[in-house]
Amino acid sequence: MNWTKQHPGLAMFAAMIGLLLFLWGMAVPLSWAPDPIGQAAQQFAEGTRMTVLLTLISGTAGVVLGVLAGLGKLSSVPPLRWISEFYVWLIRGTPLLLQILFVWLAVPTLLPDSMQISDFACAAIALALNIGAYNAECVRAGILAVPHGQVEAARALGLSPFQTFVDITLPQSMRVALPALANNLASLVKDSSLAYAISVVELTMVGYRVQAESYQPIPVFVTIAVIYLILTTAFTSLTAALESQLDVGRKR
Amino acid sequence: MTSTSSSLKPIIEARDVDKHFGAFHALKKVNATFYEGQVTAIIGPSGSGKSTFLRTLNRLETHDTGSIKVDGIELNDDLKNLDAIRREVGMVFQSFNLFSHLSILRNVALAPMRVRKMSKEAAEAKALALLERVGLKNQAEKYPVQLSGGQQQRVAIARALAMDPKVLLFDEPTSALDPEMVNEVLAVMRELAHTGITMLVVTHEMGFAREVADRLIFFDHGTILEDSSPGEFFSNPKHDRAKAFLTQVRHGF
Repeated sequence: MNWTKQHPGLAMFAAMIGLLLFLWGMAVPLSWAPDPIGQAAQQFAEGTRMTVLLTLISGTAGVVLGVLAGLGKLSSVPPLRWISEFYVWLIRGTPLLLQILFVWLAVPTLLPDSMQISDFACAAIALALNIGAYNAECVRAGILAVPHGQVEAARALGLSPFQTFVDITLPQSMRVALPALANNLASLVKDSSLAYAISVVELTMVGYRVQAESYQPIPVFVTIAVIYLILTTAFTSLTAALESQLDVGRKR
Repeated sequence: MTSTSSSLKPIIEARDVDKHFGAFHALKKVNATFYEGQVTAIIGPSGSGKSTFLRTLNRLETHDTGSIKVDGIELNDDLKNLDAIRREVGMVFQSFNLFSHLSILRNVALAPMRVRKMSKEAAEAKALALLERVGLKNQAEKYPVQLSGGQQQRVAIARALAMDPKVLLFDEPTSALDPEMVNEVLAVMRELAHTGITMLVVTHEMGFAREVADRLIFFDHGTILEDSSPGEFFSNPKHDRAKAFLTQVRHGF
């Protein structure tokens, strides 16, 4: 933790390289493991890549949704506020599994036949919508934490409301919002396992299949748990390093 | 001063400016005209409306009724007018309000880049020249939190100057400073006053007002009670409220 604070750039680089190496090369050490793990090494590797891809796509979309909804909740335009509040209310009040099933089963009936989307896309959309609602509250808290004097100074210099938001409010709000956003991202890594319910072959689905074939749940689920731990460690190191970078110039 | 006013060009014209905060009547039909190159000190007790008046001049506070014209442009809900006025009117705040996530250099260079569309190189060269002028060129790469209050306020003055404003508004620029840092900020302001820029300074620094200002306005209960030269005001205040105020602040001399 101290090391990441002193060299945030290096730590981000190391975490990213570590994650990539792990994703690319994990099948090799896994194949040395005794059965039932060794023979399914390739499946584990593919499942892990799917989990990471799902996390990155829905995590990125979720941050964008979170910023939009967080801003919407603070908007002076009532309809924008209502839409954002309804969105957060709806998503936080219903189970994630239900949301995933709804996108998978209900959305295809609403779309024309030419526009059908894959199972993976359904999972990504549902996860992005879900994490976006939780991110909205973090973003809103971050924006409210920016001292009003910062905005006044920017406006007095002639910056437009949009420039003020992009140059001043957003970067400063991220100092407060990022720890909470990072927390949500760590949850997302694990929540992505619910995609197994709509037959997306991610890590948990792989584990379920391998133990069903081998009748050896303990080694399989321990392996899965270790892989999830490595993934969340990589993601949290990344966000911790990002946090230290944003912390520059902050009063403590 | 009033004798020469007719030959000067008015830059800010406030007519019957009225302002309420809820039930509190902050400004009561305030009338004042400020002329190019004039240094005006605005003094008065806390809550007298002097800061509120200053903040209506670049619309950080909206006025309820009356009119304010800056350089001939009416200050109202029209965002185009507002942007035009804010480009010409710089402001220095009591609590500095430097952008805490940006380096000193970026603090000064940001507005010329974004608002005047200057290139990064040109804006930073200009920022460095301004930082040199306030004696802080060697601090350019630091962050606001690493500077003393007096240094931060000097950066804030450089940041306001980077937009080449016609008017500079100072809202109690030394009130949040430790006593030993007040003079370094006043020295910069004194130097500025001689360059011919229009300055409106809300202040409790009576020495500065007396020495540097061309004109002195005394606010009380949301109205301008006295509008004269500093010499006249300090030696011969007309109203009892002004006399009482001067007795109070003179304890410090």
